[in-house]
Amino acid sequence: MHDLVSFLPLVITCTGALLLMLYAVCPKAEQEKASLMSMGFFAVAFFAQLLVVCTVSRPLFPETFNGMLGVSGFTNAACLIVYACGFFTTLSSHTYFRENHFATVEFYSLLLFSAVGMVLLSMARELITAFIALEIMSLAIYVLVGFNRASSRSTEAIFKYLILGAFSGAFFCMGTAMIYGAAGSTRFDSIAEWLAFNPATTPLMLGGAFFLLITIFFKISAFPFHAWVLDVYDGSSNPITGFMATALKTAVFAMIANFLALSGNLHDSWITGLFWIAVFTMFGGNLIAIGQDNVKRMIAASGIVHSGYLLIALVAINSEYFSGAVIAYYLAAYSVATLGMFAALSWLGGEGEKRVTFDDFKGLAKRQPLAAATIAVFLLSMAGIPPTAGFMGKFYIITSAISAGQIALGVLGIISSIISMWYYLRLIVSMYFHDAEEDFIVDGSSLASISTVALAVAVFAIGLFPLVL
Amino acid sequence: MFESALTVMIFLPIVAGALILFCPAKGAARITGFFVSLIVLMIGVQLFIDFDGQGGMQFVYNTPWIPSLGINFGLGVDGISLLVLLTSAVLFPLVFCVLKEQSRAFYANLLLCQGAMLGAICATDLVVFYIFWEIMLVPIFFTIGIYGGPRRLAATMKITLYTIAGSLLMLVGIIYVANCYHQQFGVWTFDMARLSALSLSGGFAGWAFLMFMIAFAIKIPIFPFHTWLPEAYTEAPPATSFVLSAIMAKIGVYGMIRFVLPFFALEFISWATFFLVLGIIGMIYCGIAAIGQKDIKRMLAFCSASHMGIIAIGICAMNVQSLTGSLFQIAAHATSTGVLFLFVGLMEERLQTRNIDALGGLAYRAPIFATFFAVAMLSCVGLPGTSGFIGEFLIILGTVKYSMFLGLLTGFTLIVGVCYLLWMFQRVFYEKESETSARFTDLTVGEVFSFLPVMIIIFAMGIFPQFFISKIEPAVQQQIAQLYAPAQQQVVANEISVTDK
Repeated sequence: MHDLVSFLPLVITCTGALLLMLYAVCPKAEQEKASLMSMGFFAVAFFAQLLVVCTVSRPLFPETFNGMLGVSGFTNAACLIVYACGFFTTLSSHTYFRENHFATVEFYSLLLFSAVGMVLLSMARELITAFIALEIMSLAIYVLVGFNRASSRSTEAIFKYLILGAFSGAFFCMGTAMIYGAAGSTRFDSIAEWLAFNPATTPLMLGGAFFLLITIFFKISAFPFHAWVLDVYDGSSNPITGFMATALKTAVFAMIANFLALSGNLHDSWITGLFWIAVFTMFGGNLIAIGQDNVKRMIAASGIVHSGYLLIALVAINSEYFSGAVIAYYLAAYSVATLGMFAALSWLGGEGEKRVTFDDFKGLAKRQPLAAATIAVFLLSMAGIPPTAGFMGKFYIITSAISAGQIALGVLGIISSIISMWYYLRLIVSMYFHDAEEDFIVDGSSLASISTVALAVAVFAIGLFPLVL
Repeated sequence: MFESALTVMIFLPIVAGALILFCPAKGAARITGFFVSLIVLMIGVQLFIDFDGQGGMQFVYNTPWIPSLGINFGLGVDGISLLVLLTSAVLFPLVFCVLKEQSRAFYANLLLCQGAMLGAICATDLVVFYIFWEIMLVPIFFTIGIYGGPRRLAATMKITLYTIAGSLLMLVGIIYVANCYHQQFGVWTFDMARLSALSLSGGFAGWAFLMFMIAFAIKIPIFPFHTWLPEAYTEAPPATSFVLSAIMAKIGVYGMIRFVLPFFALEFISWATFFLVLGIIGMIYCGIAAIGQKDIKRMLAFCSASHMGIIAIGICAMNVQSLTGSLFQIAAHATSTGVLFLFVGLMEERLQTRNIDALGGLAYRAPIFATFFAVAMLSCVGLPGTSGFIGEFLIILGTVKYSMFLGLLTGFTLIVGVCYLLWMFQRVFYEKESETSARFTDLTVGEVFSFLPVMIIIFAMGIFPQFFISKIEPAVQQQIAQLYAPAQQQVVANEISVTDK
């Protein structure tokens, strides 16, 4: 019974996705209604998940699914983030598709499906389950990225993402097979058991883990698999970019953290590699972000940098006391700010995403003070200025790095965030210190504007009351 | 005094600042700001009177915030922070009284800035300190960027990136210190008093020490970290220049005394002479740079930097006299150099110029203004009877005790300050009246009453210094004793090892 209750949110999302698929067949289906429905499903799933967190004291279900799925405080937090991301994405989509007319009902159904994949991925305790979840998520996301069939940039984006994504999926399969060859099981706990008595440098294990990590690095856009991010983020519609940047990253990080935290031995043998990948991801991302003139591409590049910070937390994972709190907190902090940014972009962008470059935002503070203020809050949070959530997230990550003895990594993380100040401040400078060149007329009140304000409040709330820890 | 006085003092301006943003009435922002700062002033004065000068923390407020890392929302005042706190509480109402009306966002920023500065001064927990320390910068960023002069963009970016770089590195230092405590005692804490049980040196501690020092050195600023200053001070609106010079720079000094001295005693002792020499170089360098300036505000920027050098010297000389002198000079510098920025702001408002060559003979037009200006300026150069004399005298005395040569050098360097300020005064207030100066009008009654208290403070501090010094001296003695304790332990340990041989 407990198992079923902890499964409830997933059931709700899944049902929602199927119902919306059915609704799409109905001749009178309207996408606006569909967006409200999916909003409802996400909200219900979120609260169901909250209920699970609060009431179920023994939430692991190893028996029910033969150890394929498992739930812990960390996965619960990750699921909460995914549902919240889904909810706010539908809010922004609702506004976005008033001006841009290419959405159909299936759009929202796919959004729910990808959320199902994400939730499964963060719960996965076994590599084949993880692969299936990864594909459920990815297939839905591919379609969502390329939803605007009329736009060549969108087509380019889906093409790049699909081809590379297919490769990474194949790598994941390959890695799973090799790990199975070495350890004789695809279950995380069995692999961990095997690793406890065998060296992690056995060729099969080494190769398997290598392929697995390639897929993961591709999905979280870590160096050197980050090149696709800019074009794909830029080509997809604002709400979807926000969803990809946040929910997808959360799910993949949850999965890899679960995997690495269990297999301490494997983690030890990869730690130097992870160290350098974290460093290159941060600095590579920064270098790309500095050169961008387009806000969306800048945020995409800064997403690479944030993956780098999360990798610091992965390096610092201590398998004995892993609670995942640092990672979960940072993901929450990062998601709130990024979603807020894209909600604001969806709202201000208007038809065909008119306002995307730094120059387009000149003087926004004079015409739309509230929008400018919320964007400034999100940017300051991403930059890690207190008392925002972003600061606390960074603080936890650096603390965990230093207490794990990785002082050099902590210092490099800080240097990277000093560099990142430049491009975050640049947008604030555009909005506040220049005169307005246009009127920034956007139609009245919209759901995206409400979600922008709600997320801005959340930035402070999460920052001032870090209850997760 | 009621228990949560400090909390009120910090959050009243912040909350009021946030509310002002939404207030529709035109003139209400300034008046609200003024009254809020008056309330803060009254609390500040009351705290000063109630402070008993025993050396320990008083008015302590402590409540857990993030228990898993032992972070408390901890506030308190002791002799080290008392005068800085008093300065930022007493001088702040001035920015709402004088100068022409600005938009409400400007006043909201100023209030936020005051709250954050008071928070940084009172915080007894390193994380809380750091948070307020960073928030302080946000209003400065916006006020310079929105209301600054023609070259404001470059100035804003420069000050922001410079100070953020410094303070982020300090964050690593903070976490490192707490982590050392965690390793030694097995618990997480960021409480200053508990952390000062550590005395770190060697290995990464040397780097952590430099991270703290650089963060504070940028804020003060100490040569060669001063390059953001002339731009920022010159381009900022007068009220912001005043806040930067009078209060914010002082928090850098305060941070150095509060955090670097106890945590890194050994490191500090071995680096002290180096930083002392940097202070002297800064004084001479900025002094010489000031002589050649045509823009009064730019000259004052260099003047402020030059006089911050002597405060830093006082810390580096590491004895009771010099440290007391530095703490005293913090208040003295704020009432003199800081206030000069407001005077220049008034001048610019009336004449639309700050160019020394375009001015002349202001003293005939505006005798009251000239008198006030002269008093602040003479206090700045350290004329006996004014507040500046006491501080500088104590610092030089302490430095002579530390090293005769460096002490004398510091003393002679002060003469440079006298040169450029008096020369500027002569060119602006005397000589032939220029066309521009003819438009100048003297201070209004309101302005006279705004500045009068400052003038009284300058003389009061100069004539009755003991009233202030007696409150801070016990804490200074404690701090100095604490600073030398680890070094003495080491000496004792070395002696034993020698006798063993």
